[in-house]
Amino acid sequence: MFELLAQTGLNAVYAASYISLVAVGLVLIFGVMGVVNFAHGELFMAGSYVVVALYADRFVPFFVAVAAGLVFVGLLGLLMERALFRPLRDNPLGGLVASIGFLMILQALAVLGFGVRMEHIPPVTQEVIAFSDRVRLPVARLYVIVAAIVMLSLLWYFLKRTRFGWALRASAQDPQAAALQGISVTLTAKIAMFIGAGFAGLAGALTAPLVSVNPYMGHSIIVTAFIVIIVGGVGSLEGAVLASIVYAFVHTFVTTFYDGVLADITGLALMLIVLIVKPTGLFGSADRA
Amino acid sequence: MTSLLQVKDLTMRFGGLTAVDGLNFKVEKGTIHGLIGPNGAGKTTTFNMISGFYTPSDGAVLLRGEDISGLQMHEVARRGVVRTFQHSTLFAELTVLENALVGTHMPFRPNIFAAIFGWDRDDRDGADARARDALRFFGLGDLMNEHAGDLSHGHQRALGMAVAYASHPDIILLDEPFTGMNPEETKHMMGLMKRLCSDGITILLVEHDMQAIMGLCDNITCMSFGKFLAEGGPAEIRNHPAVIEAYLGGARHVA
Amino acid sequence: MRNLIIWIALAAGLIVLPNVLSFSQQEVLVFLTINILLVASYRLLTLTGEWSLGHVVIMGVGAYASALLTKTTGLPVPLGILAGGMVAALIALALSYPLFRMKGFYFLIGSFAAGEIIRLLWKRFRDPFGGTKGLKGIDPMPDFSVGFYNFDFFEPTSYFYFAAIVVGVCLWILWRIEKSPVGLTFHAVHWQDKLAQASGVNLRAYRTLAFVIASGFAGISGALLAHYIGTINPNSFDVEVMVFVLTWAIVGGTSTFYGPILGCVVLTILNEVVLRELGLEQTRPLIYGLILILSILFMPNGLESIVQKFTRRKEAGLMRPEEAK
Ligand SMILES: Nc1ncnc2c1ncn2[C@@H]1O[C@H](COP(=O)(O)OP(=O)(O)O)[C@@H](O)[C@H]1O
Ligand SMILES: [Mg+2]
Repeated sequence: MFELLAQTGLNAVYAASYISLVAVGLVLIFGVMGVVNFAHGELFMAGSYVVVALYADRFVPFFVAVAAGLVFVGLLGLLMERALFRPLRDNPLGGLVASIGFLMILQALAVLGFGVRMEHIPPVTQEVIAFSDRVRLPVARLYVIVAAIVMLSLLWYFLKRTRFGWALRASAQDPQAAALQGISVTLTAKIAMFIGAGFAGLAGALTAPLVSVNPYMGHSIIVTAFIVIIVGGVGSLEGAVLASIVYAFVHTFVTTFYDGVLADITGLALMLIVLIVKPTGLFGSADRA
Repeated sequence: MTSLLQVKDLTMRFGGLTAVDGLNFKVEKGTIHGLIGPNGAGKTTTFNMISGFYTPSDGAVLLRGEDISGLQMHEVARRGVVRTFQHSTLFAELTVLENALVGTHMPFRPNIFAAIFGWDRDDRDGADARARDALRFFGLGDLMNEHAGDLSHGHQRALGMAVAYASHPDIILLDEPFTGMNPEETKHMMGLMKRLCSDGITILLVEHDMQAIMGLCDNITCMSFGKFLAEGGPAEIRNHPAVIEAYLGGARHVA
Repeated sequence: MRNLIIWIALAAGLIVLPNVLSFSQQEVLVFLTINILLVASYRLLTLTGEWSLGHVVIMGVGAYASALLTKTTGLPVPLGILAGGMVAALIALALSYPLFRMKGFYFLIGSFAAGEIIRLLWKRFRDPFGGTKGLKGIDPMPDFSVGFYNFDFFEPTSYFYFAAIVVGVCLWILWRIEKSPVGLTFHAVHWQDKLAQASGVNLRAYRTLAFVIASGFAGISGALLAHYIGTINPNSFDVEVMVFVLTWAIVGGTSTFYGPILGCVVLTILNEVVLRELGLEQTRPLIYGLILILSILFMPNGLESIVQKFTRRKEAGLMRPEEAK
């Protein structure tokens, strides 16, 4: 029993890692841009396909492919900022629709480029850290965990300790006041989009060998991310990380001991309860959308 | 005899700030009652508590002796207390007539089934007549099909009052109704208020314009920094040392 | 008089229409008819300013309810469709208690969560919802004859006529509601809820009313769908369908009654007929997505704003709030 608990706990930590990378990006974009990026799941998917294209098909070293995934998807984020969100700055509903359009385009491109079949990606490493017979952590999962911790720490440092980070937080709180203080709203938007999208791409790239990559994989991750950002309080990065951990544990344990559908229901119910108890999310403030 | 409206030890705290602090006053039926005080004295906050927009931190609002504090705004309105807002708060996207029609919501409560089958002709006609009356009363008869957002500032204030008046309330709370009006319009509006009053509608008025206040009110309550300062007729208040002190001491604006 | 002629011409056009279409186009036409009701009901909800992501699931509630009721209790299909609408409205009433504690973005996400939970419940409970596979062999409309015309519901044309009548009546009711004092109050709640409340409007009651009515009609559209295709499953009502509804409404524009309907018709024809017939099966979502982006960028007030440019007559009639903005 103890071993099962330990193993499930390890699985949960892994899940929490990539979920928090995705959710933090979503929160960052929402905070700075004021739009709900529905295409965030597809940015994750795009990261996975970069690994398919480079690592699986062209034998580029895995970590190079992952880095490329981060940069490529970050650039997609910049593209979205320039082409969609900047012109629609005063139209949050419009931003949402535009991101849905972008989502469809990304999905269609994935289908055109790679087909709808699931991709088989050769494992990066077969190594497993065995704590005991039945408590095992594949090293490929460890990569994800380590990457999440490192990237989130870097982000935290960037936001709290650098001038750019300060500007970013200022314009997330009050874009007008920030503009008055000489902070370039466009620049902070670019940074937020690059990081936010890049993190989703990174998560997608790292997990590509561990999941079934297909053009429609973005759906479940975006649902998860929504739950997490609501539970964590829209606009709160720390809240998003915390909620990722809580969600991952609840979901993984319910999946292991009951079943996956019930786990999904539990997650959504968790979010609804939070919304009912505190209609603006746990740490959420004023209504933005 | 119970007054139409009475506030008892009314208090509103925002975090550390006490915007209204143990305020007491009574409004008698059929009078025009002024509420004055320097900017930030807590007049709008008082209105917000009376109308149910805020729940008082402490104290009570009594309407004909019944405690109405803590009721929601529409519940207060349905008891005959209707308010206007300090900044022209209107349905800018709707026409002037439609604005007034919303004001007739209480006397002519919409019924969805009657509406589908067209059995509410009488109500709709009644509401329409009432809304047009209210608009004509406030001199907006020629502007009924304009969008409210396109009106001049003075007309917008008049429309705000027309919307409130369309429900034929017992007491109407007006928050700075003369802002944005020229002296001509103000004078005209004062005449209208007197007529409202003689029709039996009680008025509680917050206003900058001292001349208007003095010319209109039967009774005036003056507050400063959330606290009761003085009360009396126009002559008394004009010469009340504490009131003069508050305005001059506050030094900035008479509000 | 002129109006009467227009209506007769429209009716004649609709009667002829399926007869000039190919079989697959006739099927598209049936779906289009059902979707028009769906998107028109969605607009009623948006009148109060709230955007839901659960509307399609509510449609599914109507579909499941009607399918199950007709199957288990032997209720005639037309009554089942009505009952489907009522069940959807009741579920919406229950959901309104938690959901209307939220506003704006939180309502959007909350309605999405509520919808997903309902969908997952369908998946999880094989009895009675059939699990992931859903319900099969749903009772079709029984054939009948009205003398000059025999309704044979295996023909899309017949079902189109039937659906068009049901949808027509529903649209008429929706229209009457919108143009009534109730509709005006919905607008008031949207544009300036404080002032509406100060005028005695119970905001919560009106938001709930709009949600329940919209849901009832969505339920009817779902039931219409179920008895046409004969099989439904949780994925028939997933968020992708919701995205379509959302885009119809936004691309069409939501400030007029006809805006969302226009969006639905134009985008459906583009997507299902033009792109399909051009043989662009795989690029279809790509082009659709592009159209979506371009229209929101260059036509932010929707297709209706273009129509308005041509028809802008200052009609001094009552209740024409849709000319606002
Ligand atoms: N919602 C609120 N939150 C915090 N402080 C408020 C709020 N509303 C009013 N105040 C404060 O309460 C005080 C009284 O404000 P107000 O009632 O608007 O004054 P007046 O209408 O007399 O000018 C002011 O100091 C104002 O800043
Ligand atoms: Mg004030």
